[in-house]
Amino acid sequence: MMEEKARPMTMKDVQAKAEEKKCPVQQSLVFIEEFLAEPMCGRCFPCSMGSYEARIRLRRIVEAQATEEDIERLQRIASNMLKASMCKKGKDTAQFISEKITMEEFRRHLNGECPDMECKSHIRFIIIPERCTMCGLCKDVCKDNAIIGEKKKPFLSGYLPFEIAQKRCTKCGECIKVCPEGAIIIEAIAVSEEKVGA
Amino acid sequence: MAKKVGVTINGKTVKVPEGTNLIDAASQAGVEIPNLCYIKGMRGIGACRLCLVEIEGGRGPVTACTTKVKDGMVVNTDTEQLREMRQFVIDLILSMHPLDCMTCTKAGVCTLQRYAYESEIKESSFSRKKFGYPPDESNPFIKRDPEYCILCARCVRVCKEQGTNVLDFMGRGVGAKVVTANDKPLHESGCTFCGSCIDACPVNAILEADRWRKGREWDYERTHSVCLLCGGACDTVISTKDNLIMKINAGGEDGSVQRYICAIGRFGYDAVASDKRVLSPLRRVNGELKETTWEEALQLLSERLTKGKASILLTGALMNEDISTLLKVAEDVIKTDRIATTVSLYADEESMKDSDTADIDSADLILLVGLNPSQWKRVHPSLDASIRRRLSRGARLVSISSEAVDIGEVADITLRGEEPGLIKQIAKSMISKGMKANKELSELTGDTDTTEETERVADLIKEAERIVIFTSPALFRSVRNLSLIKKMDIIAVPNEANARGVVLSGIKPDGKLLKEMIEGSTEVLYVFGEPPVERRPDTGFLVVQSPYMSNLAREADLVLPSTTPYESSGSIVSFTGRVKRLSRALRPYGEAKQHREILASLAKVMGKVIKEGKTDIKKALKGRSKPSPSPFEKKEGLEIDEARFMEETNSCVINSSRLLWLREAEKAVGV
Repeated sequence: MMEEKARPMTMKDVQAKAEEKKCPVQQSLVFIEEFLAEPMCGRCFPCSMGSYEARIRLRRIVEAQATEEDIERLQRIASNMLKASMCKKGKDTAQFISEKITMEEFRRHLNGECPDMECKSHIRFIIIPERCTMCGLCKDVCKDNAIIGEKKKPFLSGYLPFEIAQKRCTKCGECIKVCPEGAIIIEAIAVSEEKVGA
Repeated sequence: MAKKVGVTINGKTVKVPEGTNLIDAASQAGVEIPNLCYIKGMRGIGACRLCLVEIEGGRGPVTACTTKVKDGMVVNTDTEQLREMRQFVIDLILSMHPLDCMTCTKAGVCTLQRYAYESEIKESSFSRKKFGYPPDESNPFIKRDPEYCILCARCVRVCKEQGTNVLDFMGRGVGAKVVTANDKPLHESGCTFCGSCIDACPVNAILEADRWRKGREWDYERTHSVCLLCGGACDTVISTKDNLIMKINAGGEDGSVQRYICAIGRFGYDAVASDKRVLSPLRRVNGELKETTWEEALQLLSERLTKGKASILLTGALMNEDISTLLKVAEDVIKTDRIATTVSLYADEESMKDSDTADIDSADLILLVGLNPSQWKRVHPSLDASIRRRLSRGARLVSISSEAVDIGEVADITLRGEEPGLIKQIAKSMISKGMKANKELSELTGDTDTTEETERVADLIKEAERIVIFTSPALFRSVRNLSLIKKMDIIAVPNEANARGVVLSGIKPDGKLLKEMIEGSTEVLYVFGEPPVERRPDTGFLVVQSPYMSNLAREADLVLPSTTPYESSGSIVSFTGRVKRLSRALRPYGEAKQHREILASLAKVMGKVIKEGKTDIKKALKGRSKPSPSPFEKKEGLEIDEARFMEETNSCVINSSRLLWLREAEKAVGV
């Protein structure tokens, strides 16, 4: 008997997975990563080499290291891949990315912003002190020991609200899920820096 | 002939045969369409996308390697859009390619370097990528360095097409790597070290192992020549610098299935500069060979030749011009008609004289009769490779042999059994399929039964347009009967490069005479080349004229240093009936001289002036006798162990070059 094999990933699946994200940079990166992982056949140079380079550039953008040059290169990759690739898969990938690059939200990443709050290098997690009840649920789930504070015992006083140590935080998002008070929020780094400066 | 169609490329109109692809059509118009993955003669794969062109009225750019010409097509190969796409691909490739052209051995002939130059790319504008794959330097023949690989797949496809089939890709996309099965070193992978992949590689990823700091490509002088080490007589290109051979490449026409040389042809040149060479005349004094001068040596030889009756023994690797001088000197100066040749060990006069001139490249049906060519055993390796390549390009193969045949694995039909009987059955089947034969031949086939398989062979023959039969010389007569029924080219395959030239020059392969010389006794025995004779025959005076100190030369009374084929010029007749020319690639080493020079000097010493020989070989080639019906029989006395014959006639080349390593390695692996 044949074992039931996992269905190979199609271009539709790749696109669906990419569209689970909201940020156009994240969408492009997920698209390229999934494309490279499975549907890409690697038979023609513009597509296989172009997608590989596109992934490098997109990662730079996500990691907030990008400059104008990276976007230019991405544009060049997308437009050439669209015309020179052998099959539809490469052309579709190029089409998807070239649509995203032109979006305003995409370019704003160069200024350190991710309007959809998905690119981790552009955001940080903070706890609003007024809302924090020091229940300690977030501290329990944090794998990175990034939450500082002492769990409140009901009969004692003198507790301080919890804080997130930004150096340790990996922005996994588990704390947000468990916080009963909605005290943990995501904030754009660029914005908060402006505040500090002001 | 295919119909011709007109196509306009960059404004130039050319007529090309229907079915030609745009790259080949453009080259006829003098336009080079850049490409990295296309191999002339093979189907295009459209991988590198450098050959993208625009066709007027077409929807978008198409790859020239996969597009066939159509009448009236108008093609542009150089537009702004196309240039940008090409630059984009070159830019991407350069981002994962070492930028060390200043020390790279391939500099000057590297296709990537040329395209980067043409696209004015100094370095890549994309991120540098490095995969850190280590090079394979485990053998003295071929070095593979994946760092330089651009994944064009040419090596993989060439290796597959010729049936050697040791290279393939591991992985896909940019991180892919060309590997052998299980990524083993080449010598454990079934590789024959023919080096076809070296010729195919456009960059520095696959190269001769010893090329580092052996001169730049533009310092090399290139000479077209022919390898004379076996019956294949393959075309070669010899690259030399400072009177040393730096490398040898296959020299066959671009796109031809015969563009192949084996490891011996490619790497055997080490022997030229080895200590196995004889560099001055040697004579035996008090039981030991001592250096002497040409004057003394020829004086001695002339005395001996005057005193005793001379017998002459020559191999089938001598060139036509040498043979014709030899014949003249034998007749007018030495005055002997006792001339034997090693050709008689495997062929008779008729098979060498009456074989056709044929072209494997145009054959659509190939029959192999009584032959077992094998790249791996190095028996007719180039024939094996050429046939396999021809099959990959659409021809069919029938193998008829009493033994199991390696190439049978790719044959359409394999017939096992006594060959003459099978040929007779095929003839009968052909006649029963309505092909016409004369009465005499019909009678000869009269009493035989056909089988289902011979019927199928007859069907293939009936359908085929260009049939070439390669046969062992012993079966030539029987096979030739088939050409009385349908037009086909029949070629008896000899074991030495110029066997046909020897016979066409007028030397009869006389097995009895050869046996007398080797096993009987002679007064003076004058040997040319390296015959497969290990022990000194019973003779009063043994002269060996050879470039190498063979076992026979070691026991000679006089050794005369002749030049290797690399230091000689002349012509030979290949087994396919082509007159091939060799040009001198090296100045002779030491005091070595070409056979005909030595013979002319000898004649002078003996008081005769002989002009160096000219040959009428082309005329002789045309003088084939017409086939006539003859009984279906195998000629006796022509069986040899072909692999052993090859080893023995080339023992000096093999033992004093890196091929020795290969032989030891094969022993160790147990091939």
